[in-house]
Amino acid sequence: MDKADIIVGIASFNNSKTIGHVIKAVDAGLMKYFPDKKAIIVNSDGGSVDGTPDIVRTVTHDHALIFLSHSVYPAHRISIPYNGIPGKGSAFRAIFQKAVEMKADSCCVVDADLRSITPEWMELLLSPLVKDGFDFVAPLYSRHKYDGTITNSIVYPMTRALYGKRIRQPIGGEFGFSGRLAEFYLKQDVWESHVARFGIDIWMTTEAIANDFRTCQTFLGAKIHDPKDPGADLGDMLVQVVVTLFNLTEKHFDKWEKISGSMDVPTFGFRYHVGLEPVKVNVDRMLDIFKTGIRDLKEIWMKILGPGDFGEVEVIGSDTGKRFRFPHGLWTRIIYDYSKAYHRRVMSSEHLIRSLIPLYLGKTASFIMEVEDIDQDGAEGMIENLCLEFEGGKDYLINNWG
Amino acid sequence: MENYVEMLFEPINNFWKNFFSFLPNLLVMLFVFFIGFLFAWIVRAVVLRVFKVINFDSWCDRVGLTAIIRKGDVWSKPSEVFGLVIFWFLVILFLMIGLSALQLKTIDNLIAQFFLYIPRAFSAILIIIAGYIFTGFLSRAVLIAAVNSGYHYARILAEAVRLLLLVLILSMAFEQLQIAPGIVIAAFSIIFGGIVLSMAIAFGVGGIDAAKRIIEGGGEEKKEGKNEKDKDIEHL
Repeated sequence: MDKADIIVGIASFNNSKTIGHVIKAVDAGLMKYFPDKKAIIVNSDGGSVDGTPDIVRTVTHDHALIFLSHSVYPAHRISIPYNGIPGKGSAFRAIFQKAVEMKADSCCVVDADLRSITPEWMELLLSPLVKDGFDFVAPLYSRHKYDGTITNSIVYPMTRALYGKRIRQPIGGEFGFSGRLAEFYLKQDVWESHVARFGIDIWMTTEAIANDFRTCQTFLGAKIHDPKDPGADLGDMLVQVVVTLFNLTEKHFDKWEKISGSMDVPTFGFRYHVGLEPVKVNVDRMLDIFKTGIRDLKEIWMKILGPGDFGEVEVIGSDTGKRFRFPHGLWTRIIYDYSKAYHRRVMSSEHLIRSLIPLYLGKTASFIMEVEDIDQDGAEGMIENLCLEFEGGKDYLINNWG
Repeated sequence: MENYVEMLFEPINNFWKNFFSFLPNLLVMLFVFFIGFLFAWIVRAVVLRVFKVINFDSWCDRVGLTAIIRKGDVWSKPSEVFGLVIFWFLVILFLMIGLSALQLKTIDNLIAQFFLYIPRAFSAILIIIAGYIFTGFLSRAVLIAAVNSGYHYARILAEAVRLLLLVLILSMAFEQLQIAPGIVIAAFSIIFGGIVLSMAIAFGVGGIDAAKRIIEGGGEEKKEGKNEKDKDIEHL
């Protein structure tokens, strides 16, 4: 197969409404910013029945409307079905395979359900690889202060504390990566695990930073996409992401044990504030589940958290009114305790992580109430404080790992 | 006079004759029993060592076997309990083998029955152990799922599932042991059927209003629910 300079992967499943726009934006971005590069758009499809692959092959755009002077040729497009466990990770694996087969130098992946993607995203995701020699580009978005709660309360603070790199959106969904990193990913034997599903994002980010690939992040603006599949419920997402996070924590113990504090990674793109759609949340329901958890999951939580921290959870759960607050320190110890419990195989991983949901909802409810009347920067400050708590409490995890 | 003396000593002579013909069998039995005891002791020591190496006690803690043992007011380590069970099983096994050396018809029948019963007892023990672990796993899954769904009677639901499964497992074990199989099956059918029927009635009576609401306003409720979901936060 001929060599390609750039590969852009798009994982899809029944995205006929949005994939046309994504393809047009990618196509235009490649022509505008990388006209001298041979680029291939690879659609890895999970068996769509709404004609998604046909749209990938046929969608056209009159480039004369956006490019005034030079003649341009569209990037070649291919749509391939992927094998294995149905999920985003398996779709990415097919893209890595294609990248290795075509000896691509630079690659990126974008979601097929994006509504806010622009041609500039190609430049932002690929330029750090093509021009600056980075191996991994993580996304940075403007998001509503209530959104990305698994990222804000678990994945970002823990990844930052463990590996010492401040990658703000470790599970963002859009990534850039070099050909050699694609080859590294492909060689790993993880494709029958949760990495084949939603675990792929945290796995890609962590493996890149833990294995000393050159890493940066790039500001893409707002991320607006189609409403998620209602079937993809919170429990499944949490299990897939957190089990992968804990697996990586076990795997890279020797590396993160020696790291203390954290540092910024190079950040590309022009940061600006974006007007975001209001988000409606049902805090009462979250707190109700949290309180039910305190009452009914006592036995399980005692086993994981121990009597001290469970006692604290009981105390804060006794008043879930307007003043309800979930302290950062307690939440940090809870996540570290869950990580230890996973490491010690205290119970099945599925049960363990699902038992975290009421606590997570309690923490989320507390965060929403705390930031209700403050702006985005204020909310970001709260997340920064939580990250510092995770960094400060890292010794607790190291000393009790065993 | 000599005849009288012979008559007097004949039973004693017979006894001695029988005793001396029986003595080798008795010695074989005692020897087999001694060897069996020694073998059981060695096996117990080896098993304890293996259990220690594989962290059997920690595993028992995790799967809940320690908790079962504690409920029976046994406070030794699970590895010691299992070591003792294996020890006494082997001792009894060798005792039976030894007794068969006596070549007494009554004992031979008893031994034959004992050996025929071993596979059944073994199956019953396996059913109980595997069933208990499975029951614990399933009831915990139900408890967590119910709590996460915001169901207020999560613990009652989980306990109901545990009870139903325990009834099923005990019935299977008793049936395997052939302990009054007719009564066990009848009792199981009555208890299990009764529980299911009472739950159905409870759900039916308690859910009349909810069912009515769903039938009458299902469409609207669905639509409202969807809108709610669309505006909800993104967790990832």
